[in-house]
Amino acid sequence: MEKGKASEVPGGGIVYGETAYSKEKAPEVPIAGVIYGEIAYWIALLGILISIVGIAIYMKSGGYADKTCLLNQLWGGASVDAIWKGCAGVSKAPEGHWYLSKLSYGDGIAMLGIAVTCSAAVFGMWGGLFGVLRSKWGMYIVLALIVAIILTMSVAGLIVIKE
Amino acid sequence: MRLSKLSVAVLLAAMIFLFSSGIGYAAETADPSGMGLSPIAFFFVFVAICTAIGVIAVLGGVGGGVVFTPLMMGFTPINSFIIRATGLVVALAGSLIAARPFLRRGLANVKMLFFAALPYTIFAVVGALLAGYVETSAGDFGEALIRLILGFLVIFIAGLILFGGKKVEYPEVKKVDGFTQRLGLAMSYWEQSMDKVVHYKVRRAPLGTFLFCACGIVSGMFGVGAGWAMVPVFNLAMLAPLKVAAASSKVLIGIGDSGAVWPYIMRGGVFPLFAVACIVGVVIGTSIGARLMFTVKAQLIRWIVILVMIGAGVKLVIDGFNKL
Repeated sequence: MEKGKASEVPGGGIVYGETAYSKEKAPEVPIAGVIYGEIAYWIALLGILISIVGIAIYMKSGGYADKTCLLNQLWGGASVDAIWKGCAGVSKAPEGHWYLSKLSYGDGIAMLGIAVTCSAAVFGMWGGLFGVLRSKWGMYIVLALIVAIILTMSVAGLIVIKE
Repeated sequence: MRLSKLSVAVLLAAMIFLFSSGIGYAAETADPSGMGLSPIAFFFVFVAICTAIGVIAVLGGVGGGVVFTPLMMGFTPINSFIIRATGLVVALAGSLIAARPFLRRGLANVKMLFFAALPYTIFAVVGALLAGYVETSAGDFGEALIRLILGFLVIFIAGLILFGGKKVEYPEVKKVDGFTQRLGLAMSYWEQSMDKVVHYKVRRAPLGTFLFCACGIVSGMFGVGAGWAMVPVFNLAMLAPLKVAAASSKVLIGIGDSGAVWPYIMRGGVFPLFAVACIVGVVIGTSIGARLMFTVKAQLIRWIVILVMIGAGVKLVIDGFNKL
């Protein structure tokens, strides 16, 4: 190709001299998605870091549930209730946000980290809702609001498995 | 950076080797009373295994949970309720970390996400509650049934991806129905591999709604991310481009499974020693896989997903029949 002369190339681009330029500009990225993604990412990461710190403490100084017993029971295929009964000395599996009262133990802190990670999308959805409101996406405001409410109810423990 | 098929195949082989050797090591060192590993060794073995799972999963455009749960249920003795609870946590964590670049690049369709999130989330929660009911009430029969259904579903979806779609990379949408048109789901994104903007439409939103309900039930009940089912729904039913379908399903897993995981946590089914190892591994693997995804061809991704799903599905069906 002659240097300095513009030519069409497959895929819609233009080659000008030795440098390729695209014909089209990248489309604008919706702000609601960006907000959701950023909030969810950072909170999830924070939760993972907390859970790693908790596990390190658990490995070093033990925890609410005995770790060797837990490992043996896990690999033995024991049920949830049997594991809690055998390794934490409780009559059945704890319900609700049990880790909040066990934050002096490594596994309590690790579970808090997991809980923070599992809540990341909830905060993200509320942030995403703000983005949808800014974009004035009519019906999507209602959809995002309903999803955010369902997720919040789930985290709050209002949706639970009953025996 | 464009990876050759050979380098991706080598990477995949290394990941599969890592997974099988990790499980093999754990099995060899097990004693009759337990696993025979110290808790710290167990932790690192599972970090390594789940790193491999994370890479494979994200390359296939599915959640870590969909690879994690069938493989763990098929090849370890751990209680299936705990595996499914952990599978949801794993799928969730992997999705939340991987979602960011998809959303920043506009690859995931945000309108389609919020539209699909409602049926998916509601039914994922229902699925989690059903799983709890089976765990507390149905005993061994329930366990066998869960393995059988999950196994057949995994094989079915693998078959759907294998035989069900032509032109799936960029499906042609000729006519958009009125409902989908009113939703305004058409969008565009920058396709790096072609150096151009891809404008796309989707259709059949009502059918998509119904199918997302089914995906939610499956995800919540079986502790899988359901990206394996949602990619075909976005791609084959609604005719979104394959990369958009994969990215959107990845983000959607993070939203819907957040609702489904909490009933499992509230039931005490998540144990940090197991779950943190799996989260850390999958997040590392997902980060590696997400970087590779933009440079790997969609056709190759499909084959990775198909092979992993068929292997795990067959094992689960065999286990299910044995337990009946």
